[in-house]
Amino acid sequence: MISFEDVSYSYSPGRYAIEHINLSIDKGEVVAILGENGAGKTTLIKHINGLLKPQSGSVIVLGMNTKETTVATLARHVGLVFQNPDHQLFAETVEKEIMFALTNFNFPEDEISRRVNWALKEFGLLEYKDRPPFLLSGGERKRLALASVLCYDPQIVILDEPTTGQDYRQKLHLASLIKKLNSESKTVVVVTHDIEFAADFIPRSIIMSKGRIIADGDSEELLTNRELLMSASLIPPQLVELSWDLALNPPTIHFDELVSSVKKLLEGREA
Amino acid sequence: MKAFGFDYRRGTSIIHILDPRSKFIYTILFTALTVYFVNPLVLLLVFLSSVPMVAVAGVGKSWLRSIRGSLFFIAFIFIFNLIGIFWTTGSVADALIMSISMSLRFMALISIFSVFFLTTSPEDLTQSMVQLKIPYDYALTFNMAMRFVPTLSREAQIIMDAQRSRGLELEKGNIFQRVRNYIPVLIPLIISSFRRAELVADAMESRAFGAAKRRTSLYVLTMGRRDFLFILFSVAAFLAFLSLKVLFGIQ
Repeated sequence: MISFEDVSYSYSPGRYAIEHINLSIDKGEVVAILGENGAGKTTLIKHINGLLKPQSGSVIVLGMNTKETTVATLARHVGLVFQNPDHQLFAETVEKEIMFALTNFNFPEDEISRRVNWALKEFGLLEYKDRPPFLLSGGERKRLALASVLCYDPQIVILDEPTTGQDYRQKLHLASLIKKLNSESKTVVVVTHDIEFAADFIPRSIIMSKGRIIADGDSEELLTNRELLMSASLIPPQLVELSWDLALNPPTIHFDELVSSVKKLLEGREA
Repeated sequence: MKAFGFDYRRGTSIIHILDPRSKFIYTILFTALTVYFVNPLVLLLVFLSSVPMVAVAGVGKSWLRSIRGSLFFIAFIFIFNLIGIFWTTGSVADALIMSISMSLRFMALISIFSVFFLTTSPEDLTQSMVQLKIPYDYALTFNMAMRFVPTLSREAQIIMDAQRSRGLELEKGNIFQRVRNYIPVLIPLIISSFRRAELVADAMESRAFGAAKRRTSLYVLTMGRRDFLFILFSVAAFLAFLSLKVLFGIQ
């Protein structure tokens, strides 16, 4: 569904932002892209909807070569939600903001109003419908940015740092949203610094460092690998650190498993 | 997108080390020329006269980027003048000459201002404004406005990417439609500038900006012989251009 073949891109000569990227993501997968600042995460996802075209190699999305396809065509199938909502909110009202993409993609009018209503409800924005987006709080603006992309039901959803500035309840809401998208066999790619979020909710992780993919696989396996996390300058999830401190074998990213291991430890001590 | 060439890099050329005040006099005089004359040949000469300074200062690359970055506006000016003047006078030749003049005028202005900003450090500029008795608050405001131009152009790029991701096609439609296409880019840009301005103000005040009643300066700019020479040349060139009007009636 998404495939990168030996893709490199550089903004200024001599320094690659991403280098020799090979990657394949199937329909219905949920993937986290992790890595330190400047690892190339955002550059990578901008290739998926054609904002950036590979300088060498190729990116194929839903059978389309991004080099030969316009951003507008790709964007219809690839919804990319940017990190900072202030970089896209512009309309007079929350409702019109959500309508923007729908009108751009020429949805019929009744379909537009149906989808706008769905998005307003889904993201808890119904009561702000007629307010200017700029007067919403930070968290609400973030939700509006999500709503304004998810309203047109793209097959691939890419979220750049969706958890920043969100409280725990909103993160849970986001997690259930991802789960729901997944159940509709949408493909979801989440770029994040929030390793806890990835550990808790996302089954596959891709770890980037200095423009390269240094690991790609099962989140539990990757996020409990001490050397790997160190080399990517990532702080391990708290559950993993706790498992290490308790010398649990194998360490885990799942709360339930940690609890049962601890219980076993305690029972062993009592016996 | 590196829009205008206000992207100062430290340099050691003679143009760089001139006092900002003397460069400012040059900028004012030559700006006056571009506004005064309408003859395309004269405007071309004014434009070309800034080229040697670019060469001496060794800022050719950034200068070219300024010119290239303004090509869109130049095309815009050209087309609108062409249509507008043809509409009112009905003469293709007049319209053509006038549009060429207007485009050259804009190019000359971009070039002259680029030379000034590419070779003058923002700190020196602020200091020279203060020494010209401009209140420090205004001088600093100006300095910061310049300082944020590259930030703004980076941000504009991100916003364009974000809106294109929602299906905005900037190149779609006729010329009026295209201008309208930029609304979803301009509004977030303006609003985030306001937000940033507020943040910067808060950050400055929390570091005691404005606490001292009387400011003193660590460095004071002084005009040297080369500055007076440069001003002399600028004034001479200015008068030479004006003589075109006086002697030959060219305007």
